[in-house]
Amino acid sequence: MSFDQASDEQLVRLAVDGDEDAYGLVVRRYQRRLTAFLAQLVGDLEIARELSQETFVRAWSALERFNPSYRFSTWLFRIGHNLAIDHLRRRRLTTVSLQRTDQEGEEVEIVVEDDTKDPLGHFENRELAVSLKRAIEDLRPEYRELVLLRHFAGLSYQEIADLKDMPLGTVKNKLFRAHTVLRNALATFL
Amino acid sequence: MTTSCEAIQSRLVEHLGEVERLADGERRHVEQCPQCCEAAAAERALARIFARALPPADPELEARVLAAIGPARRRRRVLALLPVAASLFVALLGAVLLGGLPGGSLLALLPMWSSQGWVSLAATMSDWGTAIGTAVGAAGNLVAPGMVVVAALLGLLGVTVVVAAVRRWRRVSPWSGGR
Repeated sequence: MSFDQASDEQLVRLAVDGDEDAYGLVVRRYQRRLTAFLAQLVGDLEIARELSQETFVRAWSALERFNPSYRFSTWLFRIGHNLAIDHLRRRRLTTVSLQRTDQEGEEVEIVVEDDTKDPLGHFENRELAVSLKRAIEDLRPEYRELVLLRHFAGLSYQEIADLKDMPLGTVKNKLFRAHTVLRNALATFL
Repeated sequence: MTTSCEAIQSRLVEHLGEVERLADGERRHVEQCPQCCEAAAAERALARIFARALPPADPELEARVLAAIGPARRRRRVLALLPVAASLFVALLGAVLLGGLPGGSLLALLPMWSSQGWVSLAATMSDWGTAIGTAVGAAGNLVAPGMVVVAALLGLLGVTVVVAAVRRWRRVSPWSGGR
């Protein structure tokens, strides 16, 4: 059996035995989805890449404690999610105002435009990127997280239910409602 | 929208609008229901948008991760030694408390073994066996049989812990199969 065909659990077992190539494949397998998910959580692609790296390193350090009766993906995304939450908490403590006073004494917001940091900066259709970003932001928080886990993290309904410790039926129901909202918000692009 | 439509559209959301992944009855419904057909097309379009929303892969991430886990791996090897060292310490402590290590007297016998060969070694081992048997018999007379069983179980547990710790350490040791 080649590495590419190996399941996550088989690769993890090899990695626990010290096989770094196996872990390299795990990184390749999950890096885009993990980065996309984290980028949506923290709103910054560069920071999401750093958090992805940190997630993979932390997961590797804790591989021996990973319980194979659970899915590796849910465990990995839970580590990433916790790191993103920690990052957002720290950022909130160190946030500085992006407002300044202009010559006429009025408050002006400084707009920082940097496509390399925008999680959807690679989108060719900017109008669609802006609409998608707004549609996701406008979702109720309980829906937004499920949409991110489903479409950016690429998790199955069952994996989401495991991760969120939520009944499968609730996941189905909430995602159905979230999609109804999204389809209305993005109707012109569908 | 009927209840049936809502249930089927929920399934369409789950399967990203791919009608072929539905059950036969559901598929036939979608083919005949304009609302569900439209919902399926919208879900497929939405799935395409989300697929494009994934950022490009970072070609250097894997190398950065593998470089970063090197020090973590070394730290893990050192930490893995702690249970081995602790269990060896306990074993040595036990041996000392039981009357000291026989190392010195055994070393003193080495010249005799080398000159008199395996017969001497077998005789010495036999003496040790007799001594241990006598000690166990005496312990049985002095201590209640229940206590002997408990002591034996504790001894077995200790050996199991030592074996487990050594196996774990070997798995992450620098000279095991993994790099």
